[in-house]
Amino acid sequence: MKATRVFELTALALVAVSAVQVGWWVFDQHAYTIEKAQAAQSLYAGQARAARALLAAGVSEARVRELLPDLEISGGEAGLAPAAERALVSEIRRRYRQYVWEGSFFLLALATCIAVIARALRAEARVLEEQDDFLALVSHQFKTPLASLQLSLETMALRPLAPEQSRTLIERMLSDLSRMEMMVTQILESVRLERGRVDLRSEPVELAGAVARVAAALEARARAQRIALTSDVAPGLYILADPLALDVIVRNVLENALAAVAPVGGGSVAVSARVSNGEVELAVRDTGVGFRSADGARLFEKFSRLHPGGGSDQYGTGLGLYIVKRLMQLAAGRVTAESAGVGQGACFVLTWPATAAPPA
Amino acid sequence: MSAPAQRPIRVLVVEDDPHLAAGVLENLRAEGYEVAQVGDGRAALEWLRAGSCALIVLDVMLPELDGLAVCRTLRDEGNNTPVLFLTARGDPADRVRGLEAGGDDYLAKPFHLKEFLLRVRAILKRWDWYRSASSTAATAVLRFGGNEVDFRTFRARAWNGEAQELTEKEAMILKVLAEHAGEIVSREDLLERVWGYDVFPSTRTVDNFILRIRKRFEHDPANPRHFLTVWGVGYRFLAEGEP
Repeated sequence: MKATRVFELTALALVAVSAVQVGWWVFDQHAYTIEKAQAAQSLYAGQARAARALLAAGVSEARVRELLPDLEISGGEAGLAPAAERALVSEIRRRYRQYVWEGSFFLLALATCIAVIARALRAEARVLEEQDDFLALVSHQFKTPLASLQLSLETMALRPLAPEQSRTLIERMLSDLSRMEMMVTQILESVRLERGRVDLRSEPVELAGAVARVAAALEARARAQRIALTSDVAPGLYILADPLALDVIVRNVLENALAAVAPVGGGSVAVSARVSNGEVELAVRDTGVGFRSADGARLFEKFSRLHPGGGSDQYGTGLGLYIVKRLMQLAAGRVTAESAGVGQGACFVLTWPATAAPPA
Repeated sequence: MSAPAQRPIRVLVVEDDPHLAAGVLENLRAEGYEVAQVGDGRAALEWLRAGSCALIVLDVMLPELDGLAVCRTLRDEGNNTPVLFLTARGDPADRVRGLEAGGDDYLAKPFHLKEFLLRVRAILKRWDWYRSASSTAATAVLRFGGNEVDFRTFRARAWNGEAQELTEKEAMILKVLAEHAGEIVSREDLLERVWGYDVFPSTRTVDNFILRIRKRFEHDPANPRHFLTVWGVGYRFLAEGEP
């Protein structure tokens, strides 16, 4: 167990013991007050008996009053004076009130401490668990391309292959390597995003330019997979974003769309934008494999690959859309995904606050 | 490595990663097997309900329905096709889970190609032996002490009339013991014949299976009369029962 955890658990135990002690203090003081009140009452009872004896012995009422000022003496009878009785009762009440207020204040303070510490402990346990899950998932994600690499190499070592077959295997290995490289980049990226260790700028960026840059870089790949990649984003739409993060977001969403269309043997990916209620919406519509509407939220979770490969050569790492979601959150924007079902294509909508063009 | 048989043996590969699937398929094909491939658990079940194969190479982490669930469903449906699990998780607990789900063998990714091919052949060989050793009317059914075991259907009726569904491993152990009735069969021999080589780290597994078999077929499992322990060596099966 880590030292900090031991420290936290010790603090929790100390606070809990303090709470029990405060409870005991309240109980003890209550009992003490009752005891004192009873003692005072029996003292007054004794004085009354003494007064009656003195009166019976012929001492004058005036003299007895002088000797025992807390008593009321009249017609040979002696009892506690109303003023003294009121003083006694009010003293008892004052003490009770003190215990109730002080006791509840301390108990409340201690209960708050206990809740805060317990919450911190639970949060820490959850973080540790998430880290373990993340590591398990990461290692699992790496084992598949590693297995494929090893299989290709051992195939080449095991039997002589025709040049054609060798070329296929080499291409497969190169693709496995680039897949692992992409995974390393994305894993580092997502860990940085997770820890909040990114300083995103927030400045007006022209959306059409950013989309055009990313689309141009993916054009060749889209053409090779018989996918029509079209963009209809009016120039002059400005959003508040980090220019580099915006590139990553648009690229990941477009790559996801291409990977969804490739398995169905081609189709289209259409990008469009519009302004609504002071926000800019960028929609990426594809004619790919789609997803069940119930899986819409799961898409953006870490390592959730709903259609991993499925016969295409494009691999997801299961991190691309997670990164998109985190970056959009950090940019005060949001991302949603819709699909009418498996085989029905999908539409991803990115929304940012709109802003004016920067002064020239 | 030589081609395994004249008539091609069909192997179904259930793997969602296209590169790995392609590599496995190419190598199985090069070894003379006829191959088929599907990419998710549901598709695997559909394929197996429509067709048949001699062996399933089954990835554990699959979309739709994972490999363990596929294997369990197959066994529940009475499909006894041998399964070789491929998985990215290779710790002993996962191994045991795979074998408990009804798998025959378990290989962790990344794996060695030669080992993979060897295991494929070993599983097929074991099943070849089991089938040919249960092919005649005389060898298909084993009767002892009021029990009746049908090796072809994996069903049995115990002495108390209870119907029993045997797992493949239980049936294979019974087969080995019955083939050597009256003789001592060592734990190592049982491991070798039923599981192949290093699937399990210990011979304790064999003991557990014998306990299960005794529970199914002995009147008093604590004092067995048919499946006797030979201390320090292995087991002996007596069809007539110990006098």
